[in-house]
Amino acid sequence: MNPVISVRNLTKTYHVGEHQVNALRSISLDVQAGEFVSVIGPSGSGKSTLMHILGCLDQPTSGQYFLDGRDVSHLSDDEISLVRNKQIGFVFQGFNLLTRTSALENVELPLLYGTGNITAAERRKRAMAALASVGLESRYDHHTNQLSGGQQQRVAIARALLNNPSILLADEPTGNLDSKTSIEVMEIFQSLQKERGITIVLITHEMDVAEYGSRIISFKDGNIISDVTNESRRHAKGELDVLPSVAEGVA
Amino acid sequence: MSLGNSYIIALKALRRNKMQTALTMLGMTIGVATVLTMIALGSGAQKAIQDQVKAAGMNMLVVTAGNYQAQREKPPDDAIEMGAVRNPEVNGHPHLQLALFHPEDDPFAIHDHPTARQRLGDSEAGLGAAATLTIEDANAIRKINGVQYACEGIHENVHVADGDTRWFTRVHGDDSSLPNIRRAWSFVHGDFFSARQQRKNEQVVVLGNIVAAKLFGDVNPVGKTVTLWKQPFKIVGVVTSSSWMVTPESGDDQFDAVYIPVTTMQKLLNLSKLNDITVTTSSTGDVTRVSKTIVTLLRSRHKIGGNTPDDFTVASQASKALTKGGLRPDVASAVTGNAAGLEKVTLDQLGKTLDKSSKTMTALLASIATVSLIVGGIGIMNIMLLSVTERTREIGIRRAVGARATDVLLQFILESVTLSVVGGLLGILIGVVAAIAISHAVQWSTSISPLAVALSFGISAAVGIFFGYYPAREASRVAPLTSLRFE
Ligand SMILES: Nc1ncnc2c1ncn2[C@@H]1O[C@H](COP(=O)(O)OP(=O)(O)OP(=O)(O)O)[C@@H](O)[C@H]1O
Ligand SMILES: [Mg+2]
Repeated sequence: MNPVISVRNLTKTYHVGEHQVNALRSISLDVQAGEFVSVIGPSGSGKSTLMHILGCLDQPTSGQYFLDGRDVSHLSDDEISLVRNKQIGFVFQGFNLLTRTSALENVELPLLYGTGNITAAERRKRAMAALASVGLESRYDHHTNQLSGGQQQRVAIARALLNNPSILLADEPTGNLDSKTSIEVMEIFQSLQKERGITIVLITHEMDVAEYGSRIISFKDGNIISDVTNESRRHAKGELDVLPSVAEGVA
Repeated sequence: MSLGNSYIIALKALRRNKMQTALTMLGMTIGVATVLTMIALGSGAQKAIQDQVKAAGMNMLVVTAGNYQAQREKPPDDAIEMGAVRNPEVNGHPHLQLALFHPEDDPFAIHDHPTARQRLGDSEAGLGAAATLTIEDANAIRKINGVQYACEGIHENVHVADGDTRWFTRVHGDDSSLPNIRRAWSFVHGDFFSARQQRKNEQVVVLGNIVAAKLFGDVNPVGKTVTLWKQPFKIVGVVTSSSWMVTPESGDDQFDAVYIPVTTMQKLLNLSKLNDITVTTSSTGDVTRVSKTIVTLLRSRHKIGGNTPDDFTVASQASKALTKGGLRPDVASAVTGNAAGLEKVTLDQLGKTLDKSSKTMTALLASIATVSLIVGGIGIMNIMLLSVTERTREIGIRRAVGARATDVLLQFILESVTLSVVGGLLGILIGVVAAIAISHAVQWSTSISPLAVALSFGISAAVGIFFGYYPAREASRVAPLTSLRFE
């Protein structure tokens, strides 16, 4: 089977004044469909840079990137936009939701762009379904400032899932959340992987978060220093089952 | 992505910032309202002057049958000089002088019908004054370029009777276009006789309001019958003066009078000629040219050659109008006070000057208004530019979920166009209300043409596109990544 993500000799070099920053130094990597890959590494090691390239938000300095077997490293801006719209879902540390906009409208957003004519009713239906899959259907008309951080992150996940992307990219999605909410988000990720076979790349600098993934890749100074299958995987569902009332009280 | 979606996106974005949206629109609203009000005031003033000039008959010419007469006693003091555009000396006839005529004098009537003076034995036969104007002459004049209306006229005195009630008054045999020439006319009841009734020589009559009052009091006489020359005439209308300067009184030539179709009059009285033809030109500035053309035309139609003098007179009404009222006093004094050597100024020069000054005023008002529009436009641009920096994050989010650069461009342009067009529509509304309010409050006539409204709308849309394009392009150039890092 062809890998969903296939990266060959990817480099990214920034020039800051006279300095040259090698954010990525010749990375090669394959991710198979249905994998849950955690990328871990210290600050500045190039994790976000990789994610931006994988998410087609940025272009590599050199090397190739195949998404679903198609070389996307040298597409035009319009083509890249369409790839982002159809094949990639993003979840960011800072949620990146539109302010003063309801949860439903935030989730609908990807459907307003891209090809195909979708009626308003259809848009709403699909957005509601996505909100339901993250357990927020009752909050559809809440504005983002009326939602907790965890709820906002779930709205962002619903938005990322709307176009049934090939990959879900998450850059420190739990960075702004407390531990219980973090586990809830991880629970959603794990069930997405298990039930819908969605490929996930999760970036974090905390090992205990990385352990929810099925495979852990460690970064250092723009290089992959290890790439292993996670033998001691954590299961968020089970943790939530034993935790709830205590965490509720603590929070 | 469809334009419809872009529009949804733009509207949602505007809704997110209600206060900002409202304030930006307000700038545009004020701009457009000012433009519209200014244009309304300017063109209202222009139209008022034009109307006054036309009402005063400055675009009017009267072609009268007959021209000269043997020199007799000194003309009466209230005589009016005719033929202002003609050489005062009658060529080759030193014993002749330019005719001076009293309104009651009627060169035509001298021959065909006795005037009051003739009946009293005060006969004054005019030389070469054979009444010569015909309906065909009038038709030929109608075809001259620049002529607006031409109206045949035969004038007589008559007894109008409703049963035993009789009233001695003037009867005018006229063309159905007369109400268009007499601008200060309004119909109390009914209307003027129609072109069709005229063609069929119908016995229909329009009463001046004095006559109507004498015969019928306050009752609406339309549909009733009166007799003239013992012939029944059906009343089709009652006319009065709409001018607030002149209240018709008895003896008034226009409103103590009755009007019948010229064709009916010719048939009943067995006439073939006319007393006069009243001509209006479409433009006030055109009077001299048209009067020259009429002279040439009639000389050739009447086969007058060489040194033989005309057998008709062409006179413009303007001098009479200017000196004898008809013009609003303030306008007249402005004209007489500001134009040095008014007597020497030809009438079309005067007309042109009036046109020009009112156009200058409109232009001035319009340029003031344009400035306020530009200010409104810059307001939009300012807000939109601010938006771009304020909303980089929003732009980044949109790009991350798949918006193309053009989608962002379109969104921002649609936002600014919506601001300017909605603001503009409100401005049109306010402008119309303001113009009406001003004309009520200070009695300055305003006129809002559909063109001015369409123009304001077009301008506001153009302002939106023009001032919105640059910020929108800036927005579309925001790189997806930089904006997401922006936290
Ligand atoms: N736009 C840029 N211009 C210049 N240098 C950059 C830019 N973006 C990233 N870098 C540099 O590239 C290197 C990798 O940055 P990156 O954001 O990928 O790190 P990271 O692993 O995500 O770190 P963190 O865990 O703190 O998020 C860093 O040294 C950073 O300073
Ligand atoms: Mg990072």
